[in-house]
Amino acid sequence: MQNLHFQTAFEELFPQLLDALWVVITLAVLAFALALVIGLLIALGRLSKLKLLGRILLIFVEIVRGTPLLVQLLYVYYVLPEIVSRIVGTWNPGFHWNLNAMTAGIIALGINYGCYLSEVFRASILAIDPGQMKAAQALGYTPRMAMWRIVIPQSLRISVPTLGNYFIMMSKDTSLCAFITVGEIILTTSSYASQTFLTIESYTLAAIIYLVLSLPLARLVLVLERRLSRHV
Amino acid sequence: MSEAMIEVVGLHKSFGNNEILKGIDLTIRKGEKVVIIGPSGSGKSTLLNCMNYLERPTRGQVLIEGTPFEPPGKKYSEKHVSALRVHVGMVFQNFNLFPHKTALHNVMAALVTIRKIPKDKAREIAERYLQKVGLSDRLHHYPSQLSGGQKQRVAIARALAMEPKAMLFDEATSALDPELVGEVLQVIRTLAMEGMTIVMVTHEMKFAREIGDRILFMDQGRIVEENTPEVLFQNPQHPRTKAFLQEVIH
Repeated sequence: MQNLHFQTAFEELFPQLLDALWVVITLAVLAFALALVIGLLIALGRLSKLKLLGRILLIFVEIVRGTPLLVQLLYVYYVLPEIVSRIVGTWNPGFHWNLNAMTAGIIALGINYGCYLSEVFRASILAIDPGQMKAAQALGYTPRMAMWRIVIPQSLRISVPTLGNYFIMMSKDTSLCAFITVGEIILTTSSYASQTFLTIESYTLAAIIYLVLSLPLARLVLVLERRLSRHV
Repeated sequence: MSEAMIEVVGLHKSFGNNEILKGIDLTIRKGEKVVIIGPSGSGKSTLLNCMNYLERPTRGQVLIEGTPFEPPGKKYSEKHVSALRVHVGMVFQNFNLFPHKTALHNVMAALVTIRKIPKDKAREIAERYLQKVGLSDRLHHYPSQLSGGQKQRVAIARALAMEPKAMLFDEATSALDPELVGEVLQVIRTLAMEGMTIVMVTHEMKFAREIGDRILFMDQGRIVEENTPEVLFQNPQHPRTKAFLQEVIH
């Protein structure tokens, strides 16, 4: 343990890690925004009166939750463009479609987390007293308006802490995007480590960067939770 | 006093195989105060919920001032139902205030969203109705900061602000502590005196007697007996009415 070179690793790797941190934040924010939209739509679809739609969505959610995120990332990045290219290629020979790594990461993370979030949204919508829907309808809201203007705003308040925790989880799960060549923290770290053999120093620094990102976020979620639970 | 405000024709309502309402015919005239009494499970609340179509009848028609919720030959339309429902205000046993909105915003919400009234005007209207129910000093309180009686008065103000032509009260005082019942009844009494059409489900027999033009006794999904309060309370005809009144008067 004598020959650790944290100083060197810090000086050389840290600036690169800051750039990589931006990639992580961009990835997490965009993918989470996508996940929120997908999650809410799936939740509403599953709560709708259309039985068939609910069935199909449930199967989709089960498939996504039953396979590893890493597999989904690989699938979206390598397999999806291949399938699209082959299908379009049948009437347009020579067609080839590529998905850049960042976009593939956003899509895969967005869909994966969207499926988990759909359960959060569904549970929080079901947690709202049905009397709220009744009262809104009695005032002339259509069921759809009552859902969007009265029920969903309340259910969002309940779900904010959970959503926050999922966001923290996702920001860490972006590390899996290293496997599809997104230049995020892990890919940056591993290439530096393999060049310099400063394995201990490099991965320790990477871990610290993740901590610096997620600890304040966790605090923020706590504060939000307290604020939003005041008038529920 | 003779024009029909709410008409219920041949109404049946089932939940699954359980038939709750077994054929109700009823006309509420403009300005009339009708009180529905009866044992629990008799279908009183379901009938009230059908009157503004919060529950869609299994069979039969409900008309507001002659307009049916489901015009024959037309497809069921949420839009039409919602638009017609605005004319009938409703107050619930459990208040059902929006917990994330202040008293003022509870009353304002539908004015802005449904009646498309500009915010400043809606605020004025909301303040006026909250004043009417004696809550001018509670405009910015959230429901969690109000007593049961105050909550119910906000709920009444919220319904009244939509300027309905009739009001339905579904056991409006049943969830209140005894000492808070009076303040809510006082608001309803004032409304009655102003000529509002009122249909009320209640266990407050004294109050029913005081404001009711007509009392309906319901049991097992049917209207068993109806009459003026004097006759129905003093001299009930049907044995089930007698038995029920004996139970509740003591």
